[in-house]
Amino acid sequence: MLSININLIVAFALALVGVLIYRSHLISTLLCLEGIILSLFILITLLITHFHIFSISILPLILLVFSACEAGVGLALLVKISTTHGNDYIQNLNLLQC
Amino acid sequence: MSPYVTTILTLSLFIGTCLTIFSEHWFTAWMGLEINTLAIIPTTPKNPRATEAATKYFLTQSTASMVMMFAIIYNAWSTNQWTLMQLSDNWASIAMTLALAIKLGLAPFHFWVPEVTQGIPLLTGMILLTWQKLAPTAILFQIAPHLNMKILIMLAILSTLVGGWGGLNQTHLRKILAYSSIAHMGWMIIIVQINPTLTILSLTIYIMATLTMFLTLNLSNVTKIKSLGGLWNKSATTTIIILLTLLSLGGLPPLTGFMPKWLILQELINNNNIMTATLMALSALLNLFFYMRLIYASSLTMFPSTNNSKMQWYDNPTQITMLIPTTTVISSLLLPLTPLFITLS
Repeated sequence: MLSININLIVAFALALVGVLIYRSHLISTLLCLEGIILSLFILITLLITHFHIFSISILPLILLVFSACEAGVGLALLVKISTTHGNDYIQNLNLLQC
Repeated sequence: MSPYVTTILTLSLFIGTCLTIFSEHWFTAWMGLEINTLAIIPTTPKNPRATEAATKYFLTQSTASMVMMFAIIYNAWSTNQWTLMQLSDNWASIAMTLALAIKLGLAPFHFWVPEVTQGIPLLTGMILLTWQKLAPTAILFQIAPHLNMKILIMLAILSTLVGGWGGLNQTHLRKILAYSSIAHMGWMIIIVQINPTLTILSLTIYIMATLTMFLTLNLSNVTKIKSLGGLWNKSATTTIIILLTLLSLGGLPPLTGFMPKWLILQELINNNNIMTATLMALSALLNLFFYMRLIYASSLTMFPSTNNSKMQWYDNPTQITMLIPTTTVISSLLLPLTPLFITLS
């Protein structure tokens, strides 16, 4: 385990905490989700170059493809929420309270 | 929605789950779960409640996917392999368990299940609560030897208690079925390390009963307890089906729903988990209470309605009720086949 891994795991943990704790806007949650994806991408790439397992070199690219699709869906939902509510404040998402 | 879009989305849902179940590499399992998440989001309609439900579903499921990916990569760093059945690293298995708990809607990660189930139509909610549970349960079944029993017990007991107490104050039927889903997932999780076959058995019987409930409710489009009160007038047989299915979900003896609970309690007691077994059995009573409330509203009493006659004289059924008799029989009459299911394990 390299010492750079601690750096990346802390980056992942920070971005995860950023997804879980939010202030007002939905788009900051989506941004932190992208931060998680970035840290995971770098982790896989480091794995490949460190252990020289070039057979799975395509893996970071597949991760990127699926994460881009997910980000697209997230943004589409953000646009729809902005259409109905006018802004992307998370406190407005209270139509389905018990 | 255009039939091409519906075909693509249905195919993607099917392919996603099949990809996860049949995969040996962790990455293809993760891909299948992602495809499932992405495929169900466009099936929600355009009203504000459905958009909000889709957003909450998307946020929780993608967070869970990312935590799962982290567990996979951490496991690859420390053990250098990607086989689905070997999740040897301790921290990776803990992270994977929590990620799958978020995906399945186990307490304390259950907060999205009632709200998302409430916001979407009945049939989409049915797919959410039945089909989307197959892939994460398949992964749990395969990594069962490496899981941490303490975390499993905590998730399971919390889920059954939350599922029981949370459903007591609800009047919307979709929220009631969501809390029922949380409680049943708790029953499935507790036994996954001791006897994983019982997890699959419990999941199958739960899916059959939930399918029956959703399809029956979809016939007359009832979504609240008040609407259940008028069901005796429109179609009295529907009330009988609801009675049988709800009693089966509650786990009462002559019906099939008793079988998984019985076998799970027996396996727990054989492993000296008597306190756990007692807690789970007692929390199933909470579930039974609000099922009884639904049965009371639909079959046991006749609510006042605008129609003064006991039955409709002109019965013109226009709905397709294809699957309901099959799933009703499966979810109520299969208890004598218990020896068959025991020998399968």
